[in-house]
Amino acid sequence: MEQEALTFRDVSSGYKHRKVLDRVSFSVREGEFVSLIGPNGCGKSTLLKTAAALLKPVSGVVELYGQDVQCIRPAFRASLLGVVPQKIESPMAFTVYQIVMNGRISSMGRWGTVSSHDHDLVERSMIYTDVSGLRDRYFTELSGGEQQRVALAMVLAQDPKIIMLDESISHLDINHRQEVLQILMNLNREKKMTILLVSHDLTLSASISDRFLLMASGRLIKAGTPSEVLEPETLSSVYNCDLRVQQDPYTGYLQVTGALDSLNRRKKLNRTVHVIAGGGSGIELYRRLLIEGYEVTTGVLNRLDSDAEAARALNIHAVLEQPFSPVGAEAVAEALNMIDRADSVILSQVPFGSGNLVNLELAAQALKRGKTVLLPDGIADRDYTEGKAALQLVSRIIKDGAHQWHSIQDLMLLLHKLVNTENR
Amino acid sequence: MRIKNSQLCVDNRFTAKSHRKARLKVVLFFLALLFLLALSMLLGPSGIGIPDTQSASGNAIISLRFSRLLMGMMTGAALSASGVVFQALLRNPLAEPYVLGVSGGAGLGATLSILAGSGIFVSLGLPVVAFIAAVVTLIMVYSIASQGSSGHPSVYSLILSGVIVSSICSSVIMFLVSTASVEGMHNVIWWMLGSLQPVSSAQQQLSLVLILGALGGIWLLSPRLNALALGREMAHYQGIAADFVLVAGLLLATLLAATAVSLSGMIGFVGLIVPHVMRAFFGPDHRKLVPLAALGGGTFLVVCDALARTLLAPIEIPVGVVTALAGGPFFLIILQRRMKQAWIA
Repeated sequence: MEQEALTFRDVSSGYKHRKVLDRVSFSVREGEFVSLIGPNGCGKSTLLKTAAALLKPVSGVVELYGQDVQCIRPAFRASLLGVVPQKIESPMAFTVYQIVMNGRISSMGRWGTVSSHDHDLVERSMIYTDVSGLRDRYFTELSGGEQQRVALAMVLAQDPKIIMLDESISHLDINHRQEVLQILMNLNREKKMTILLVSHDLTLSASISDRFLLMASGRLIKAGTPSEVLEPETLSSVYNCDLRVQQDPYTGYLQVTGALDSLNRRKKLNRTVHVIAGGGSGIELYRRLLIEGYEVTTGVLNRLDSDAEAARALNIHAVLEQPFSPVGAEAVAEALNMIDRADSVILSQVPFGSGNLVNLELAAQALKRGKTVLLPDGIADRDYTEGKAALQLVSRIIKDGAHQWHSIQDLMLLLHKLVNTENR
Repeated sequence: MRIKNSQLCVDNRFTAKSHRKARLKVVLFFLALLFLLALSMLLGPSGIGIPDTQSASGNAIISLRFSRLLMGMMTGAALSASGVVFQALLRNPLAEPYVLGVSGGAGLGATLSILAGSGIFVSLGLPVVAFIAAVVTLIMVYSIASQGSSGHPSVYSLILSGVIVSSICSSVIMFLVSTASVEGMHNVIWWMLGSLQPVSSAQQQLSLVLILGALGGIWLLSPRLNALALGREMAHYQGIAADFVLVAGLLLATLLAATAVSLSGMIGFVGLIVPHVMRAFFGPDHRKLVPLAALGGGTFLVVCDALARTLLAPIEIPVGVVTALAGGPFFLIILQRRMKQAWIA
């Protein structure tokens, strides 16, 4: 078994007012090719920054070859670990050669003299990335793909043992992406270089990586071989959409698909869903239901409630009551009308008190009128009524045949299933 | 791999050729500097000529011109090198000592010490007070700009708060001048217009030491300035103590600007434009750029001073007027032709 090159031990990290990484632990062995995947904003870049000691962990330790990265001298760190950022920008007119030479600065002598070793490393990196023909061109004038190769050459000139790439290849065209990946694979196979690639292209990453790390909202969800991590259920819940994983019959590579498929389905939906919400608990539901193609109605909401504002902005038909008032009989009658026209009734994760207990009774009524009712679990934590009236009501509704949902992804799948069974 | 190797050979020859060309450019530049410096030694109110070295008055003229040359070299080198550093660290073509309020703060400090004291005490205290005031201003600008961001101010908020602090400083100077005695007002205004009239030799020596020291420090930082030009984050990834270089660079550049201000008053333009022109000719590699910009800035100011004392002789035009009026159009033409080689914004 090879040495551990990069190790995270229970690392939490983030910015001044915002914690991003939440107790992440993993390790990458020397010579591995690892892809780090996860939806936008899940903390991949923060993880890289923490690994490179740009961010100091709030708790936990990051180790490079067994040493705490916070305690390593910067120049030595650069000889262990190189980072290719999403994009490098040079405001001044540096030539390609000058940019690549930057990779040697930290290990040069005090006077910045270039030794023949520095020179050789720079030349070798430029040849490897095929940019030596560009050496006297201005970096800023190059195309995106060329710039990315120059950036890679600069990092290679550091002669690091590990290279991390932060979505550096996502905006390259297919030809340059293949080329950069080919370079990375060669480095990995021939020089035993350890590579950690942040990538959005799951299919492409699956074909070249030894291992996947899957992140979601600051946590490491899953680590393992591509086929272990690329599971439809896990991916669908992490990326919050319906994804499918297939194996290419000819190459054996895994392919992740699904986006277009669900787009096609959306147009055919002709179903109305009534949402019982309040206090902002409905906004995400409205958004997802509308995207999936449902007709949405909602109520009863108090005017000025953030859900009422959202419903108005999204053109959702809503039953409204005066601000801060208990729900009156008129509003209840109107809401029951709406429920009659809907196919299903969804209850959001809204807390219940004496003021809006009526809304829960609406759900009970809906069930009596033969509608499918979907309730979120965990009502006990949100019950502020006297004598736990809401909790009692909920358990009765569930006994009468309401469905329960846990996450929004969960709820969407449940709805799809209902639609499909009824269509049959 | 065979093709690649032959390609490498071609490239090497090409690089060697461009190296030779670059070296030739530097040699020509040095020759031009020497010529211009010699010319400004010979330039006087009575036209071009070698003063009579036998007579006492001739010797006096030579020594006066020489000390003005020294003043010009020091001030110009300090301003120009300081501009190079500010532009590199803030990655912005507008950055210079004036824009960041550093010169304004130094000016305020200098005004206070001119109005407060007299004699040798002022002339030695001037650079020190100016430097302290400039550092205080820099810290103020930096901390105002850092508010609300996660510890590292954006370039835009730095420049914006620099401009504001700078204008506050100049208002306070105006206020002090308006309430000062006639003599104090005269002193301050003359000093503010900017001139290379030699200061006391003690102050000259102190300033020389400060400027040479700061230039040396900046030259040591210069390879790291190249890395910081790609941003703080990238420099960090490349194993450079980015925050240290940032703080050390800002302090050294502030020291240069403050010393220049305390020597010769408020001379604008040099710190902004000379770095751009030097970059346009010699490229942005700071290992070369820092010394060349220092020499170029010094010589430029010396030439402007020679023009200032001869153009309308016997009246002497403030040198700050000449730098902008004569240098402005000249540099604009150069920049227009060569901007691409300097800065691609």
